Amino acid sequence: MNREQDWSGENPQMDMEPDLELAQALKHFKASLDAWSDAALSQPRTTAKLAVRHSWRMVAGWALGCLLVMGSLAGTVREIYQRQEMARIAAQKAAQKIAEERAAAARVTAQPGSAQPVNMLPVGAQSDKKTPAATTRKASPTMDSAEAQDEDLLASVDSDVSREVPAAMEPLAQLMDDNDTQ
Amino acid sequence: MRRMGASTKVMAAGTAVEPLTAVTAEDLAAQEFARIVESHRPQIFRFLLSSLRDIDLAETLTQECFLKAHRNWKHFRGDSTAMTWLMRIAINLQKDYWRNRRIQFWRQTRTNAVDLDEASEWLPNGERNAEQQMLAREQVAQVWQAVKGLSERQRTVFLLRYVEERELSEIAAATGLSEGTVKAHLSRAVGRVRTELRGTR
Repeated sequence: MNREQDWSGENPQMDMEPDLELAQALKHFKASLDAWSDAALSQPRTTAKLAVRHSWRMVAGWALGCLLVMGSLAGTVREIYQRQEMARIAAQKAAQKIAEERAAAARVTAQPGSAQPVNMLPVGAQSDKKTPAATTRKASPTMDSAEAQDEDLLASVDSDVSREVPAAMEPLAQLMDDNDTQ
Repeated sequence: MRRMGASTKVMAAGTAVEPLTAVTAEDLAAQEFARIVESHRPQIFRFLLSSLRDIDLAETLTQECFLKAHRNWKHFRGDSTAMTWLMRIAINLQKDYWRNRRIQFWRQTRTNAVDLDEASEWLPNGERNAEQQMLAREQVAQVWQAVKGLSERQRTVFLLRYVEERELSEIAAATGLSEGTVKAHLSRAVGRVRTELRGTR
Protein backbone atom coordinates (compact mmCIF):
# COMPACT_ATOMS: atom_id res chain seq x y z
CA MET A 1 0.00 0.00 0.00
CA ASN A 2 1.42 3.35 -0.96
CA ARG A 3 0.97 5.63 2.01
CA GLU A 4 2.05 8.76 0.21
CA GLN A 5 -0.81 8.42 -2.29
CA ASP A 6 -3.20 7.95 0.63
CA TRP A 7 -2.03 11.13 2.20
CA SER A 8 -2.82 13.19 -0.86
CA GLY A 9 -5.99 11.39 -1.89
CA GLU A 10 -7.99 10.89 1.26
CA ASN A 11 -7.46 14.02 3.22
CA PRO A 12 -8.45 17.02 1.16
CA GLN A 13 -8.14 19.30 4.19
CA MET A 14 -4.50 18.48 4.62
CA ASP A 15 -1.54 19.42 2.46
CA MET A 16 -1.76 17.91 -1.01
CA GLU A 17 2.01 17.58 -1.16
CA PRO A 18 3.19 14.17 -0.08
CA ASP A 19 4.64 14.50 3.38
CA LEU A 20 7.70 12.32 3.29
CA GLU A 21 8.62 12.88 6.89
CA LEU A 22 5.18 11.91 8.13
CA ALA A 23 5.08 8.80 5.99
CA GLN A 24 8.52 7.86 7.25
CA ALA A 25 7.51 8.40 10.86
CA LEU A 26 4.38 6.29 10.44
CA LYS A 27 6.38 3.55 8.78
CA HIS A 28 8.77 3.49 11.70
CA PHE A 29 5.89 3.57 14.14
CA LYS A 30 4.30 0.54 12.52
CA ALA A 31 7.60 -1.32 12.38
CA SER A 32 8.19 -0.55 16.05
CA LEU A 33 4.74 -1.79 17.02
CA ASP A 34 5.17 -4.94 14.93
CA ALA A 35 8.46 -5.70 16.63
CA TRP A 36 7.06 -5.06 20.08
CA SER A 37 3.93 -7.10 19.43
CA ASP A 38 5.90 -10.03 17.98
CA ALA A 39 8.28 -10.01 20.92
CA ALA A 40 5.41 -9.89 23.40
CA LEU A 41 3.59 -12.71 21.66
CA SER A 42 6.63 -14.94 21.40
CA GLN A 43 7.73 -14.58 25.01
CA PRO A 44 6.38 -17.21 27.42
CA ARG A 45 3.52 -16.14 29.61
CA THR A 46 4.22 -15.80 33.31
CA THR A 47 0.76 -16.15 34.71
CA ALA A 48 1.80 -18.74 37.32
CA LYS A 49 4.56 -16.51 38.62
CA LEU A 50 2.24 -13.56 38.64
CA ALA A 51 -0.37 -15.53 40.54
CA VAL A 52 2.23 -16.58 43.09
CA ARG A 53 3.45 -13.01 43.45
CA HIS A 54 -0.12 -11.77 43.82
CA SER A 55 -0.93 -14.43 46.39
CA TRP A 56 2.18 -13.51 48.39
CA ARG A 57 1.17 -9.90 48.25
CA MET A 58 -2.29 -10.79 49.43
CA VAL A 59 -0.96 -12.93 52.27
CA ALA A 60 1.42 -10.18 53.33
CA GLY A 61 -1.38 -7.65 53.23
CA TRP A 62 -3.65 -9.82 55.33
CA ALA A 63 -0.88 -10.55 57.82
CA LEU A 64 -0.10 -6.87 58.18
CA GLY A 65 -3.77 -6.04 58.59
CA CYS A 66 -4.23 -8.75 61.23
CA LEU A 67 -1.15 -7.51 63.08
CA LEU A 68 -2.48 -3.96 63.11
CA VAL A 69 -5.89 -5.05 64.38
CA MET A 70 -4.38 -7.31 67.04
CA GLY A 71 -1.96 -4.60 68.13
CA SER A 72 -4.68 -2.02 68.50
CA LEU A 73 -6.88 -4.49 70.42
CA ALA A 74 -4.03 -5.46 72.73
CA GLY A 75 -3.23 -1.80 73.34
CA THR A 76 -6.83 -1.05 74.26
CA VAL A 77 -7.08 -4.04 76.61
CA ARG A 78 -3.79 -3.12 78.27
CA GLU A 79 -4.93 0.48 78.74
CA ILE A 80 -8.19 -0.64 80.37
CA TYR A 81 -6.36 -3.10 82.63
CA GLN A 82 -3.86 -0.42 83.66
CA ARG A 83 -6.63 2.04 84.53
CA GLN A 84 -8.42 -0.59 86.60
CA GLU A 85 -5.19 -1.42 88.41
CA MET A 86 -4.51 2.25 89.13
CA ALA A 87 -8.04 2.70 90.47
CA ARG A 88 -7.65 -0.37 92.67
CA ILE A 89 -4.32 0.86 94.06
CA ALA A 90 -5.77 4.32 94.71
CA ALA A 91 -8.75 2.82 96.54
CA GLN A 92 -6.43 0.61 98.54
CA LYS A 93 -4.26 3.58 99.53
CA ALA A 94 -7.29 5.65 100.51
CA ALA A 95 -8.65 2.83 102.63
CA GLN A 96 -5.26 2.37 104.24
CA LYS A 97 -5.01 6.07 104.98
CA ILE A 98 -8.46 6.16 106.57
CA ALA A 99 -7.60 3.13 108.65
CA GLU A 100 -4.36 4.76 109.79
CA GLU A 101 -6.15 7.97 110.69
CA ARG A 102 -8.77 6.07 112.62
CA ALA A 103 -6.08 4.18 114.44
CA ALA A 104 -4.32 7.47 115.27
CA ALA A 105 -7.58 8.95 116.55
CA ALA A 106 -8.21 5.91 118.67
CA ARG A 107 -4.68 6.19 120.06
CA VAL A 108 -5.21 9.87 120.91
CA THR A 109 -8.47 9.19 122.70
CA ALA A 110 -6.91 6.31 124.55
CA GLN A 111 -4.20 8.62 126.02
CA PRO A 112 -5.39 10.30 129.32
CA GLY A 113 -5.29 14.16 129.52
CA SER A 114 -5.25 14.79 125.85
CA ALA A 115 -6.77 18.15 124.90
CA GLN A 116 -8.91 17.34 121.94
CA PRO A 117 -9.49 14.01 120.24
CA VAL A 118 -9.34 13.97 116.47
CA ASN A 119 -12.68 13.28 114.94
CA MET A 120 -12.27 11.70 111.54
CA LEU A 121 -15.85 10.91 110.74
CA PRO A 122 -17.80 12.89 108.17
CA VAL A 123 -20.27 15.64 109.15
CA GLY A 124 -23.36 13.52 108.68
CA ALA A 125 -21.92 10.71 110.68
CA GLN A 126 -21.10 13.10 113.51
CA SER A 127 -24.73 13.99 114.11
CA ASP A 128 -26.05 10.47 113.67
CA LYS A 129 -23.55 8.49 115.61
CA LYS A 130 -22.09 9.07 118.95
CA THR A 131 -18.41 8.65 118.47
CA PRO A 132 -16.15 7.46 121.21
CA ALA A 133 -14.53 10.90 121.22
CA ALA A 134 -17.90 12.55 121.87
CA THR A 135 -18.68 10.20 124.65
CA THR A 136 -15.28 10.87 126.08
CA ARG A 137 -15.94 14.61 125.91
CA LYS A 138 -19.18 14.24 127.79
CA ALA A 139 -17.57 12.01 130.25
CA SER A 140 -14.87 14.50 131.20
CA PRO A 141 -16.23 17.90 132.40
CA THR A 142 -12.73 19.22 133.03
CA MET A 143 -12.01 19.08 129.32
CA ASP A 144 -15.21 21.00 128.52
CA SER A 145 -14.45 23.76 130.94
CA ALA A 146 -10.96 24.17 129.53
CA GLU A 147 -12.38 24.37 126.08
CA ALA A 148 -14.92 26.98 127.14
CA GLN A 149 -12.18 29.05 128.74
CA ASP A 150 -10.20 28.93 125.52
CA GLU A 151 -13.17 30.07 123.51
CA ASP A 152 -13.88 32.98 125.90
CA LEU A 153 -10.30 34.05 125.73
CA LEU A 154 -10.32 33.99 121.95
CA ALA A 155 -13.58 35.99 121.83
CA SER A 156 -12.27 38.73 124.12
CA VAL A 157 -9.06 38.98 122.12
CA ASP A 158 -11.10 39.30 118.97
CA SER A 159 -13.27 42.06 120.39
CA ASP A 160 -10.22 43.94 121.71
CA VAL A 161 -8.55 43.74 118.37
CA SER A 162 -11.66 44.84 116.56
CA ARG A 163 -12.13 47.72 118.91
CA GLU A 164 -8.68 49.07 118.31
CA VAL A 165 -9.23 52.01 115.97
CA PRO A 166 -6.65 54.13 114.19
CA ALA A 167 -6.22 57.72 115.39
CA ALA A 168 -7.90 59.17 112.33
CA MET A 169 -11.07 57.25 113.06
CA GLU A 170 -11.17 58.23 116.70
CA PRO A 171 -14.17 60.69 116.44
CA LEU A 172 -16.21 58.08 114.61
CA ALA A 173 -15.38 55.44 117.24
CA GLN A 174 -16.38 57.92 119.91
CA LEU A 175 -19.74 58.42 118.21
CA MET A 176 -20.29 54.64 118.09
CA ASP A 177 -19.46 54.35 121.79
CA ASP A 178 -21.99 57.13 122.52
CA ASN A 179 -24.64 55.32 120.53
CA ASP A 180 -23.90 52.12 122.44
CA THR A 181 -24.34 53.86 125.77
CA GLN A 182 -27.61 55.43 124.68
CA MET B 1 -43.21 -58.18 7.44
CA ARG B 2 -41.05 -57.32 4.52
CA ARG B 3 -42.09 -53.62 4.71
CA MET B 4 -41.36 -53.44 8.42
CA GLY B 5 -37.99 -54.91 7.86
CA ALA B 6 -37.22 -52.32 5.21
CA SER B 7 -38.24 -49.39 7.43
CA THR B 8 -36.16 -50.73 10.28
CA LYS B 9 -33.21 -50.86 7.99
CA VAL B 10 -33.76 -47.26 6.94
CA MET B 11 -34.08 -46.07 10.56
CA ALA B 12 -31.01 -47.95 11.54
CA ALA B 13 -29.14 -46.35 8.73
CA GLY B 14 -30.47 -42.92 9.76
CA THR B 15 -29.42 -43.25 13.38
CA ALA B 16 -26.05 -44.45 12.33
CA VAL B 17 -25.38 -41.59 9.92
CA GLU B 18 -26.93 -38.57 11.68
CA PRO B 19 -24.53 -38.27 14.69
CA LEU B 20 -21.62 -38.69 12.35
CA THR B 21 -22.66 -35.70 10.22
CA ALA B 22 -23.35 -33.57 13.32
CA VAL B 23 -19.93 -34.31 14.75
CA THR B 24 -18.32 -33.55 11.44
CA ALA B 25 -20.10 -30.18 11.18
CA GLU B 26 -19.04 -29.27 14.72
CA ASP B 27 -15.52 -30.35 13.99
CA LEU B 28 -15.46 -28.30 10.85
CA ALA B 29 -16.74 -25.22 12.69
CA ALA B 30 -14.17 -25.72 15.43
CA GLN B 31 -11.41 -26.15 12.89
CA GLU B 32 -12.49 -23.05 11.05
CA PHE B 33 -12.60 -21.04 14.26
CA ALA B 34 -9.18 -22.37 15.29
CA ARG B 35 -7.82 -21.27 11.92
CA ILE B 36 -9.31 -17.81 12.39
CA VAL B 37 -7.79 -17.52 15.85
CA GLU B 38 -4.45 -18.62 14.52
CA SER B 39 -4.45 -16.11 11.69
CA HIS B 40 -6.05 -13.09 13.41
CA ARG B 41 -4.71 -13.28 16.94
CA PRO B 42 -1.48 -11.35 16.23
CA GLN B 43 -3.39 -8.49 14.63
CA ILE B 44 -5.99 -8.24 17.39
CA PHE B 45 -3.21 -8.38 19.98
CA ARG B 46 -1.18 -5.72 18.18
CA PHE B 47 -4.16 -3.40 17.93
CA LEU B 48 -4.96 -3.80 21.64
CA LEU B 49 -1.31 -3.43 22.58
CA SER B 50 -1.00 -0.21 20.62
CA SER B 51 -4.20 1.12 22.16
CA LEU B 52 -3.42 0.20 25.75
CA ARG B 53 0.42 -0.06 25.86
CA ASP B 54 -0.02 -2.87 28.38
CA ILE B 55 1.10 -6.36 27.39
CA ASP B 56 -0.81 -8.24 30.09
CA LEU B 57 -3.98 -6.30 29.51
CA ALA B 58 -3.71 -6.66 25.73
CA GLU B 59 -3.25 -10.41 26.16
CA THR B 60 -6.25 -10.65 28.49
CA LEU B 61 -8.50 -8.63 26.20
CA THR B 62 -7.36 -10.68 23.21
CA GLN B 63 -8.37 -13.84 25.05
CA GLU B 64 -11.71 -12.29 25.95
CA CYS B 65 -12.22 -11.20 22.37
CA PHE B 66 -11.78 -14.74 21.05
CA LEU B 67 -13.88 -16.17 23.85
CA LYS B 68 -16.73 -13.85 22.90
CA ALA B 69 -16.22 -14.65 19.25
CA HIS B 70 -16.35 -18.38 20.01
CA ARG B 71 -19.59 -17.98 21.96
CA ASN B 72 -21.20 -16.00 19.14
CA TRP B 73 -19.58 -17.81 16.24
CA LYS B 74 -22.88 -19.37 15.17
CA HIS B 75 -24.44 -15.87 14.97
CA PHE B 76 -21.74 -14.59 12.65
CA ARG B 77 -23.52 -14.18 9.33
CA GLY B 78 -20.52 -13.22 7.28
CA ASP B 79 -21.80 -9.74 6.37
CA SER B 80 -18.32 -8.41 6.98
CA THR B 81 -15.00 -10.20 7.08
CA ALA B 82 -14.09 -12.20 10.18
CA MET B 83 -11.31 -9.72 10.85
CA THR B 84 -13.71 -6.76 10.88
CA TRP B 85 -16.06 -8.68 13.15
CA LEU B 86 -13.25 -9.58 15.55
CA MET B 87 -11.94 -6.03 15.47
CA ARG B 88 -15.37 -4.75 16.38
CA ILE B 89 -15.46 -7.07 19.42
CA ALA B 90 -11.97 -5.92 20.41
CA ILE B 91 -12.93 -2.25 20.11
CA ASN B 92 -16.01 -2.82 22.28
CA LEU B 93 -13.92 -4.65 24.89
CA GLN B 94 -11.46 -1.79 24.92
CA LYS B 95 -14.29 0.73 25.32
CA ASP B 96 -15.67 -1.28 28.23
CA TYR B 97 -12.25 -1.34 29.79
CA TRP B 98 -11.81 2.44 29.58
CA ARG B 99 -15.33 3.00 30.87
CA ASN B 100 -14.75 0.74 33.88
CA ARG B 101 -11.44 2.39 34.49
CA ARG B 102 -13.04 5.81 34.57
CA ILE B 103 -15.60 4.58 37.11
CA GLN B 104 -13.00 2.74 39.20
CA PHE B 105 -10.89 5.83 39.74
CA TRP B 106 -8.98 4.23 42.61
CA ARG B 107 -7.33 1.91 40.10
CA GLN B 108 -5.75 4.83 38.29
CA THR B 109 -2.50 4.32 40.11
CA ARG B 110 -2.36 0.60 39.43
CA THR B 111 -1.40 0.33 35.82
CA ASN B 112 1.11 -1.76 33.96
CA ALA B 113 1.08 0.51 30.92
CA VAL B 114 4.50 0.82 29.38
CA ASP B 115 6.15 4.22 29.34
CA LEU B 116 6.26 6.00 25.99
CA ASP B 117 10.05 5.97 25.92
CA GLU B 118 10.07 2.24 26.54
CA ALA B 119 7.50 1.69 23.80
CA SER B 120 9.66 3.69 21.40
CA GLU B 121 12.66 1.45 22.06
CA TRP B 122 11.19 -1.33 19.95
CA LEU B 123 12.58 -0.93 16.48
CA PRO B 124 13.85 -3.58 14.08
CA ASN B 125 17.54 -3.12 13.33
CA GLY B 126 17.27 -3.56 9.56
CA GLU B 127 20.25 -2.28 7.67
CA ARG B 128 20.33 1.18 9.15
CA ASN B 129 23.24 2.85 10.78
CA ALA B 130 23.22 4.22 14.31
CA GLU B 131 22.21 7.72 13.25
CA GLN B 132 19.26 6.49 11.25
CA GLN B 133 18.25 4.27 14.14
CA MET B 134 18.30 7.20 16.49
CA LEU B 135 16.29 9.34 14.10
CA ALA B 136 13.73 6.57 13.65
CA ARG B 137 13.45 6.10 17.40
CA GLU B 138 12.90 9.80 17.85
CA GLN B 139 10.15 9.79 15.24
CA VAL B 140 8.47 6.81 16.85
CA ALA B 141 8.55 8.58 20.20
CA GLN B 142 6.97 11.66 18.64
CA VAL B 143 4.19 9.61 17.05
CA TRP B 144 3.56 7.87 20.39
CA GLN B 145 3.37 11.25 22.08
CA ALA B 146 0.81 12.44 19.53
CA VAL B 147 -1.19 9.19 19.81
CA LYS B 148 -1.29 9.58 23.57
CA GLY B 149 -2.92 12.98 23.18
CA LEU B 150 -5.64 11.74 20.83
CA SER B 151 -9.19 11.04 21.90
CA GLU B 152 -10.21 7.41 22.22
CA ARG B 153 -12.07 7.41 18.93
CA GLN B 154 -9.35 9.27 17.03
CA ARG B 155 -6.73 6.89 18.36
CA THR B 156 -8.74 3.83 17.35
CA VAL B 157 -9.29 5.12 13.85
CA PHE B 158 -5.66 6.19 13.50
CA LEU B 159 -4.28 2.84 14.67
CA LEU B 160 -6.66 0.85 12.50
CA ARG B 161 -5.62 2.88 9.49
CA TYR B 162 -1.88 3.23 9.88
CA VAL B 163 -0.92 0.22 11.97
CA GLU B 164 -3.47 -2.38 10.93
CA GLU B 165 -3.71 -0.88 7.42
CA ARG B 166 -7.48 -1.29 7.21
CA GLU B 167 -9.58 0.34 4.50
CA LEU B 168 -11.87 3.20 5.47
CA SER B 169 -14.96 1.08 4.85
CA GLU B 170 -13.58 -1.63 7.14
CA ILE B 171 -12.79 0.92 9.83
CA ALA B 172 -16.30 2.32 9.52
CA ALA B 173 -17.76 -1.18 9.87
CA ALA B 174 -15.55 -2.03 12.84
CA THR B 175 -16.17 1.20 14.74
CA GLY B 176 -19.82 1.61 13.77
CA LEU B 177 -19.15 5.09 12.39
CA SER B 178 -19.88 6.46 8.97
CA GLU B 179 -17.03 6.76 6.51
CA GLY B 180 -17.27 10.55 6.65
CA THR B 181 -16.85 10.53 10.42
CA VAL B 182 -13.94 8.14 10.12
CA LYS B 183 -12.28 10.49 7.63
CA ALA B 184 -12.81 13.46 9.91
CA HIS B 185 -11.31 11.63 12.91
CA LEU B 186 -8.42 10.42 10.82
CA SER B 187 -7.75 13.90 9.49
CA ARG B 188 -7.63 15.35 13.00
CA ALA B 189 -5.44 12.54 14.24
CA VAL B 190 -2.99 12.93 11.38
CA GLY B 191 -2.96 16.68 11.87
CA ARG B 192 -2.01 16.17 15.47
CA VAL B 193 0.79 13.75 14.59
CA ARG B 194 2.07 16.19 12.00
CA THR B 195 2.01 19.04 14.49
CA GLU B 196 3.92 16.92 16.97
CA LEU B 197 6.53 16.03 14.36
CA ARG B 198 6.94 19.63 13.29
CA GLY B 199 6.78 21.06 16.75
CA THR B 200 9.66 19.06 18.12
CA ARG B 201 11.93 19.66 15.20
